[in-house]
Amino acid sequence: MHAARNITLCNKDCLCLFVCPTGATNTETGQIDFDRCRSGCRLCVDACPSGAIYLVMDEYPEPALKNGKLAEAMLSLMERKYEQEKMAESIAANTENPAAAKLAKALRYSCRIVGEDCAREADFMLPQSMKVREVLESIKKNAEPEIKEIVEKLL
Amino acid sequence: MHSQKTLSPIFSNLAKAAEKQHLNQDAELFGLLAEKFHEPGTRQTVQGEDSLNQLRDGIAADLTEEYPALQSAGEKAADRGVLRALKWGQKVTTIQKTLIDRFLAKGDELMEGKELFICEACGFIFLGTGTPDICPVCKAPHRRFSMIK
Repeated sequence: MHAARNITLCNKDCLCLFVCPTGATNTETGQIDFDRCRSGCRLCVDACPSGAIYLVMDEYPEPALKNGKLAEAMLSLMERKYEQEKMAESIAANTENPAAAKLAKALRYSCRIVGEDCAREADFMLPQSMKVREVLESIKKNAEPEIKEIVEKLL
Repeated sequence: MHSQKTLSPIFSNLAKAAEKQHLNQDAELFGLLAEKFHEPGTRQTVQGEDSLNQLRDGIAADLTEEYPALQSAGEKAADRGVLRALKWGQKVTTIQKTLIDRFLAKGDELMEGKELFICEACGFIFLGTGTPDICPVCKAPHRRFSMIK
């Protein structure tokens, strides 16, 4: 478990610098040096008066699977959103009316975000989960070399 | 196994989830997969206003059929996560439909002097002169909004 900084909340109070025993909080990037952070130490988390530092887990418990039929139904909804996204993308690419193109672009983006939310609620919440690994494994079998290489790095 | 044709939103969602954990390499790789599995919608099957009408009808069908059916399924399974996603999704979808209807009725005038903003958290589309303070659908702060260019 390592500490991470939410830059938008950080008020540069710098109390994290006073308490960190390894200097992991003192970086030029604004982010904490995860490699130097002592696992679960949380001194900086408690010292920060702005609540800008939090702990990120390195290992997650395996999430409970949802009701299978419900998860499937959420994926079907995601597929509908994806079809709409592609339709909007097509409109944006082909219309000559700039206002229509802009609206289509917004719809495309919006459909993607709603679709992603459906995926999340269909057992694809956590990248480290078994469900995600299963999908990656099944892709790996018949994938072209380029995709295979990406999938292998993820597995 | 899930159809490979619709993996793109699953992977782009996982890219965001990895990014939240500061797993930057994984985020990048999932992002690449999202791109590789995306089948761009560039086929010009229907023209102009007709295609917007077609999109509108699909969105309207979600509201009259898909959401009510899923709502009962979610309630039956007592799945709060699903119910939450449906609630946000239904609101966002309603706004999508309303915007298309208004655009079809008023044309370019609808957007004159205004910009479109999207809530990155839930997909809510806002038409106005600046971002709202918080998202009316999911309550995300204004900094989660991006402007459509």
